Amino acid sequence: MIRAEIVKHYKTVHTWTGITCGFALFIAFYAGALTMFQGPIARWASPPAVGVAAVSLDNASRLLELVAAASPQARKDGIKLHLRGHENEPARVTWEEDEPHEAGQPHGHVHWWGTLNPDGTLLAKHEEPSELAEFINDIHMHVGIPRPWGAYFMGVVSLLYGVALIAGVIILLPSLVKDLFALRVGKNLKRMWLDAHNVVGVAALPFHIAMALTATALSLSGPLWSAQEKVIFGGKQAILDNLDNEPFRVPKPTGDPGAMMPPAQLLQRLKVQVPDLEPRFLVFKNFGDKAASVRVPGAQSGYVGDTHLGGVMLSAVTGDVLKDASLPSRQDPDRRASETFYGLHTGQYGGGTITWAYFFLGFSGAWLFYSGNLLWIETRRKNARKGGKVEQSRSTRLLGSATVGVCLGCVAGLSLTIVAAKWLHGHVADLNAWHAYIYYAVFLGSVAFAFALGAARAAVQLLWLCAVATMAIPLTTLLAWTLPVLDMWAHGSAATIGVDVVAFIGALCFAWMAIVTARRVKHGPADSIWSARAGALSPTE
Amino acid sequence: MPSDFRNDWWGKASAGAILGLGLAFSLIGLYAYLGPGGINAPGGRYSLMRYLEVSVWIAVFGFCFLFRSGRAAWAWLGAANLLAFAAMFACRFYFFA
Repeated sequence: MIRAEIVKHYKTVHTWTGITCGFALFIAFYAGALTMFQGPIARWASPPAVGVAAVSLDNASRLLELVAAASPQARKDGIKLHLRGHENEPARVTWEEDEPHEAGQPHGHVHWWGTLNPDGTLLAKHEEPSELAEFINDIHMHVGIPRPWGAYFMGVVSLLYGVALIAGVIILLPSLVKDLFALRVGKNLKRMWLDAHNVVGVAALPFHIAMALTATALSLSGPLWSAQEKVIFGGKQAILDNLDNEPFRVPKPTGDPGAMMPPAQLLQRLKVQVPDLEPRFLVFKNFGDKAASVRVPGAQSGYVGDTHLGGVMLSAVTGDVLKDASLPSRQDPDRRASETFYGLHTGQYGGGTITWAYFFLGFSGAWLFYSGNLLWIETRRKNARKGGKVEQSRSTRLLGSATVGVCLGCVAGLSLTIVAAKWLHGHVADLNAWHAYIYYAVFLGSVAFAFALGAARAAVQLLWLCAVATMAIPLTTLLAWTLPVLDMWAHGSAATIGVDVVAFIGALCFAWMAIVTARRVKHGPADSIWSARAGALSPTE
Repeated sequence: MPSDFRNDWWGKASAGAILGLGLAFSLIGLYAYLGPGGINAPGGRYSLMRYLEVSVWIAVFGFCFLFRSGRAAWAWLGAANLLAFAAMFACRFYFFA
């Protein structure tokens, strides 16, 4: 039996770790839930293009030859041959080139795609792809704080999140059986929210443990690696580093030309040698050389972390497997364990079921932090009432405003920046920069709005903003489809229509929340943070 | 029941954060030297160690509030650090003489 004083002690730990990290975790979980559909969102946001199908797999050899001749850098660093025909694959082949820079200095890359003209010549174009999905992922990883501080910040937040989980379980243990299966719906709203907070937290505990561990490790990778190099290996770890990169090192070009195996035949050779690998694209290096290689990343079903790093390297001449140590089934035990951790974070296993499960678990996590903050606020109110006061203290009001502004600002900002992918395309020079401008403007504006109006009033209006912004996603697609004069696009694939359908349902949820919150603001207890009638919210105080 | 349990927030938290990280590096260091394959293990170990390190770190940090006082947390975790680091450094000098 856990002593009461320890439980009380851990309640404080849980509260303070939760309150300090709740905001950042809400953003990470909400944006993280969206990244489960990073692919479909990228496809939704990609303008119509030449497409993969414009060059058949049989003609791809010719295209690769032309690109390798036209761009020495692409030939050396890799030409990507796409196989799936998704909307975010602009053509059969794509490659990257360095921006002009001084040797050895950090620099950006420009993106190219290539296809065949009707007369069989190369048509290559430099075009930056939509980075909307990457932007959402960046918000997920760094909650909008610039590099490298965002990663460090999230590392510390994730660490404290792990502590909060341990504390939460210790608090709940003595009354686990009694409290867990009781969702006391009724007059005592705070009791009901606490029951819901507990049941959602415990039911998703394995997910949260996996997230706390992996998020801390992934955010602090750099510092942890350099520290372990010094502390553990005394600077003699280069040997491990070397081993780590071995499966990806390509054979040195010989300088002698070789006959390249056609891609269709390469895929057949792959199927024979590694039957359970599903390739997504092929990366050719040193095309035309006798030592040319082709890297085939792809999922090997039945493994956690199946798509990350997994894959094989073939000879582009013979199609024989050159390296397969990065294939899930061939990884060494430590690598397998490491990729399992990674896959548990990203939900790369179990196919569509797990993708959807993570999507909802991500939302449930975001809700956990939102409800946790509100529980703290309501507890403070109760304590204050006992002392004879019913006014909200300054700290509860500020926390209430911050909770509403940060959480709903993130939701509305992400929805509007998604919408902008279609409306602003072709109208601004650097659309990828605009995704950031729009997100930050909406996010910071919402936070300011929440502080200016107080949590109760701001929550209703911001929830309506979230509903409208999210509804704008399917409406934009509908408009694009009905009014071609707008020069936008409406893709017909199931994945992109899925984005619209999910956004439609999400918008209805936000609208429902706005209505329910508005009711509480009008009719709920006047001393609650959720009341517009409370004296605490009057400007005279 | 008389109790000497103290609410030393900062004493316990600092012990958990600092000595937890120390214990993480020293224990996972032992795994790196003495685990299957030793220091010549394939490269995956390099990538795995961070996950193991944060597991130890979070566990120590999370459970360190069970100590009676901040002083007790620093004493016990400090002693554990000394032992683990001694063993880890012994391995380092043995393998990288």
